[in-house]
Amino acid sequence: MSLEGKLALVTGGGRGIGKAIALKLASQGADVIVNFFRHRDAAQETANDIEAMGVKAEIIRANVGDPAKIDEMFDMIGNKFGRLDILISNAASGVGRPVMDIDIKAWEWTMNINVRALLLCTQRAARLMDGRGGKVVSISSLGSFLAWPTYAVVGVSKAALEALTRYLAIELAPQSICVNAVAASAVETEALKFYVKEGLVKDSHHVTPAGRMVIPEDVANVVAFLCSEEAFMIRGQTIIVDGGTSVGLLALAGREDDEHG
Amino acid sequence: MTVEEQTREIVARITHVDKSIITRESTFKGMKADSLDVVQALVAVEEAFEIEIPDEEAQKFQNFGDFVSYVENRVAQKEKV
Repeated sequence: MSLEGKLALVTGGGRGIGKAIALKLASQGADVIVNFFRHRDAAQETANDIEAMGVKAEIIRANVGDPAKIDEMFDMIGNKFGRLDILISNAASGVGRPVMDIDIKAWEWTMNINVRALLLCTQRAARLMDGRGGKVVSISSLGSFLAWPTYAVVGVSKAALEALTRYLAIELAPQSICVNAVAASAVETEALKFYVKEGLVKDSHHVTPAGRMVIPEDVANVVAFLCSEEAFMIRGQTIIVDGGTSVGLLALAGREDDEHG
Repeated sequence: MTVEEQTREIVARITHVDKSIITRESTFKGMKADSLDVVQALVAVEEAFEIEIPDEEAQKFQNFGDFVSYVENRVAQKEKV
């Protein structure tokens, strides 16, 4: 599974899942552009780690919630490299509120970063992939079909992202661009620590059939596979990486009983 | 317009608070700003002055005055370079 000679852009690639993806793609031989917004030091550190693997890395600041900044980012990529092989639409944000407290500002902020960015980035990326094919992978969440406390607007954005992934996959298929998504359950990242601290999410390693929490590298491994030629026939899918959580609800109850019984 | 005036305008626009009542002692909480308002204010100020404000620094701001002082310092540093 080699990505040698490929050029990848990972939005939100400086930290968490995005960082793990950037490092995984680099380990497979890809040169990686690490997009960041508010954490330059983390992005630079990721780029340094990538270069230590003997491939090229670049960092680029852009708020993917802002269409003008997306254009600037792709103008830079187009001018400097003239091509792109892989787009990972990973950057995400959100406002944790019950549905009755979601206002227009919170809705638009979340939708613009989590969904509109996938549309706009893919439109620009597809032009740089034209004639050579490419891969687009977006990052979703089990919250697209499960209802978690205060996760409504993010969950809705992820459901839209998955739907958009299907449409993009069909409409970009003639250009040999493979579009898929990866949906994870709660992943051990800095963002999750915040949710646990706020009491919105519980540490769930003991109720995950696989016996541990999902880590960023679990997600990155699947993303890297979807970026490989071996995954050429997978189109428009959302691959779930959750250690069995979403299908093992009944088994989970037994597991908890066992632990407490 | 000074850095303080520009920052005040940005904060007023985002929090929908009349800029004339935003003093250096004003707090985001006092302006009834939520966490998204704070992030949006940080982002807008970063873009207006082409600076970066790490979250670790932003968390130290006790009031509008702290925010302005930080921005003034960063702008001054940038101008030196």
